Amino acid sequence: MRLDSKEIELAKYCMQFALQNGADQVRITLTKSLLNLVGVLNGEVDKVSHALDRSIQLNLFVDGRYGTFSSNKLDKEGLEAFITDAITIVRMIEPDSYRSLPSPSRVAQNATSGLELDLYDPEYESMTAEKSRALALGSSTFLSFRPSEARGEIFWNLISEEGEYSDSIFDSVTIDSNGLFARHTETSFEIGYEVTVEDRKGNRYSGYWWDATPRLKDLKIDDCSATAIQRARAQIGPKGIRSGKYTVVIDSECASKLLTPVLNALGGFSLQQKNSFMDGTIGKKVFPENLTIMDLPHSKGETGSRLFDSEGVATKETAIIEKGVVKEYFLNTYIAAKMGMEPTVEDATRVKVMPAGGCKTKEDILAKVQDCILVTGFNGGNSNSATGNFSYGIEGFMVREGKIAFPVKEALMTGDFLTLWNNLIFAAEDARLCMSKLIPSIAFAGVDISA
Amino acid sequence: MIYSKNYYLDIFKVDLPVLDNLVSTGLSGGGSYCDLFFENTTYGSLLLRDGAVTSGGSHIDFGVGIRVLSGEKTGYAYSESTALQDMLACARSAAQIADSSSEVSPYGTPNPSRGEPNPKADRYPMEKPWRECSMKAFLPFLTTLEKKVREKDGRVVKVMATLAFQVTDVLMYNSSRELKWDTRPMGSVSVTAVFTQEGKMENKSTSRSFRTGAEMLTEALAEEISADVVSDIDARFQAIRPKGGKMPVVMGAGASGILLHEAMGHAFEADFNRKGTSIFSDKMGRQICPRGINIIDDGTIGQNRGSLNYDDEGIPGQKTYMVEDGVLTSYLHDRLSAAHYGVKPTGNGRRESFRYAPIPRMRATYMESGTAKASDLIAGVKKGIYVDEFSNGQVKIGEGDFTFFVKSGYLIEGGRLTAPVKDINIIGNGPQALADIIGVADDLTIDPGAWTCGKEQSVPVSCGIPTVLVKSLTVGGE
Repeated sequence: MRLDSKEIELAKYCMQFALQNGADQVRITLTKSLLNLVGVLNGEVDKVSHALDRSIQLNLFVDGRYGTFSSNKLDKEGLEAFITDAITIVRMIEPDSYRSLPSPSRVAQNATSGLELDLYDPEYESMTAEKSRALALGSSTFLSFRPSEARGEIFWNLISEEGEYSDSIFDSVTIDSNGLFARHTETSFEIGYEVTVEDRKGNRYSGYWWDATPRLKDLKIDDCSATAIQRARAQIGPKGIRSGKYTVVIDSECASKLLTPVLNALGGFSLQQKNSFMDGTIGKKVFPENLTIMDLPHSKGETGSRLFDSEGVATKETAIIEKGVVKEYFLNTYIAAKMGMEPTVEDATRVKVMPAGGCKTKEDILAKVQDCILVTGFNGGNSNSATGNFSYGIEGFMVREGKIAFPVKEALMTGDFLTLWNNLIFAAEDARLCMSKLIPSIAFAGVDISA
Repeated sequence: MIYSKNYYLDIFKVDLPVLDNLVSTGLSGGGSYCDLFFENTTYGSLLLRDGAVTSGGSHIDFGVGIRVLSGEKTGYAYSESTALQDMLACARSAAQIADSSSEVSPYGTPNPSRGEPNPKADRYPMEKPWRECSMKAFLPFLTTLEKKVREKDGRVVKVMATLAFQVTDVLMYNSSRELKWDTRPMGSVSVTAVFTQEGKMENKSTSRSFRTGAEMLTEALAEEISADVVSDIDARFQAIRPKGGKMPVVMGAGASGILLHEAMGHAFEADFNRKGTSIFSDKMGRQICPRGINIIDDGTIGQNRGSLNYDDEGIPGQKTYMVEDGVLTSYLHDRLSAAHYGVKPTGNGRRESFRYAPIPRMRATYMESGTAKASDLIAGVKKGIYVDEFSNGQVKIGEGDFTFFVKSGYLIEGGRLTAPVKDINIIGNGPQALADIIGVADDLTIDPGAWTCGKEQSVPVSCGIPTVLVKSLTVGGE
């Protein structure tokens, strides 16, 4: 189900057609994806879906002007008319001298087959509807569930269980009029379960667990529903806590909430629009010595790896923050030209927070810090991209003497990102490979919690 | 806009025998109901940045989604081509949900949606259809808007303005042989301004979005948006993060209705209740908030972002009372949940595009006006918070717990608005907050912003609320 040679030839034809009809430079991205999904409700198959998508995206540079266009109607005549109209539209837009394709010296040269990163599983081709149904149901525990009272535990009951299994393939080819040809192919197998449990008073608690991997053999299916139930059960009986400063441990599962705004603030768009609290920090030590964040986009067989960005620019393994020093802004060709800086890549690809403090797991951290709040999820809140201030609702547990004491309710974590990351005390090594950002369990000292 | 039937049949290159063939194929595995959703969407956008409109584009999305229901199970597939062989393959994929036992359809009730769409009843006619206008004609609106923003506040250092429009043609057919069609326009303008004062930065965004044609791009709209984006900037620079705790909260009329959407509206969607995950799943017919309170989801407001002539299952757009006089009276239904509960669909079956099966979704959700005066509600609070606008709300449907970020607001001290506040959250529980409402003012305002609901799929919605006083909520501050 990958793009075939006819489809790729159509993309090349569109590029030539655009050049012959007035475009000075052209970039085209052709994508094709197929997804099969099986949904499960309370132990029975509830939904099946089949989704085949193809799309062509054109970036047109015409008379010093620029526009982006896309269509999923891929008949040749229709595309000719679409491109002709698109060029007319670009000519109506105001000129922008900073727009151009990336230099050929910066684009990926080593992504010709799409298979270089080992993200394609041939097993995908042998998937059948029956196999998918079996995998979707493989984790379900609903039909075998008995209320906990029957087992002599504190009463709780499983109200509902929803699960989804999907397998998909994604294939893309990016070409440009400077000679770029870059291809990326990946398969993905995913399982996710969400459950609702109820306590004796009728209070309800939900829990979720999932896994995803490019290779079917690596997908952890068996304990998905059971883990979701465990996560829901653990929340029964929450208590309020006092406002104050706490050591806070962030579970790897939700830690990206605290790093993504920092990465966004290192993005060229925010910087150029003066809407970034990281403005003016390149080359400066604004974080602590124990914080190093790498971009590792070439990790073979791992979710999120890419050899090139959306412009076709080659990604590279590099430090984003090294021993507290900001080493990288994410500047595409356009933004870099506007800012008068050297271009890099459009965005971070596969971020990894490097270990700090000598703990390998979340449990190690809890044992070290003894008394803290363990945050296992965020519920609402916001951050300010210009100031770096944030305020997030948190879900999690009070930890005393290294052990979970009780779930907390109605609590908020507030502060600003620079101060928060300067109070980093631990970064473990337990990031799950199914996440595109490898952020392990992390711990911060002196965090403001209001409740 | 509602064009003639042939306009839609021509776009999708189908006729009634083809539609019947597809439905028959969808039901060939023993399914009890099949529907087809054809979509042709044109998107256009222009972006002003650094003083010039230097980016723009257009996009086309075209295809057909085929759904087969077998009891309460759903089979779904779509095709980006309306060539017969592609659509038949798609129908056969969707048919796989059914086992071989033929079931009696609970979805076949043809009323109230039988009958051809009536152009005179159109909720969103266009005077200047977007697709018939040159995009060049839209450029002056954005440059005027930017000029007005800069003229109104000398602290503005950056302005980014976007015009986005889309027009969607839909054709719907089902195994009850109901044929419906519609053309849905949407125009949205958003602007973000960055301000600087004494070395500090602040930003503010605002938007307007309507189901209308290009006639919405007037000088008056540019004036309104520019005034909005610079309003209250002094307060933002002065704002403090107050002491937290439990206290009364007054929600301002209009945009704070998003709390009603997130914290209560989702829990009224029938799929969450059918599956037993909603906190309201066992409360139908019960008093859930004080008498006198009515909560509505409405698809009938002319040119409103959430309005629909028909939902995405061909059910007429309508006004649905979810709470009447404090009593939970209706969930929001698609055909599937309506059949489950044995009630009529409420016209809430919506989808992001032909790529998705419809599910119950809100349209314009609001609380009706009460009898109090907003000033009296504020005057009655000794110490509390007044919220102008929320953002980034999140709710846990099962628990009903919600957290909302306060975009702008004020302290209430001694019955008066005093210091502006920022960067705080309001935390609470949906049903409890409803039960704790102790005052509703007479100033219902539907917010005109570009709200998009992201439950599994993105759909345009709107929200509104009169000024409301809640007895006690947790405010997270210092």
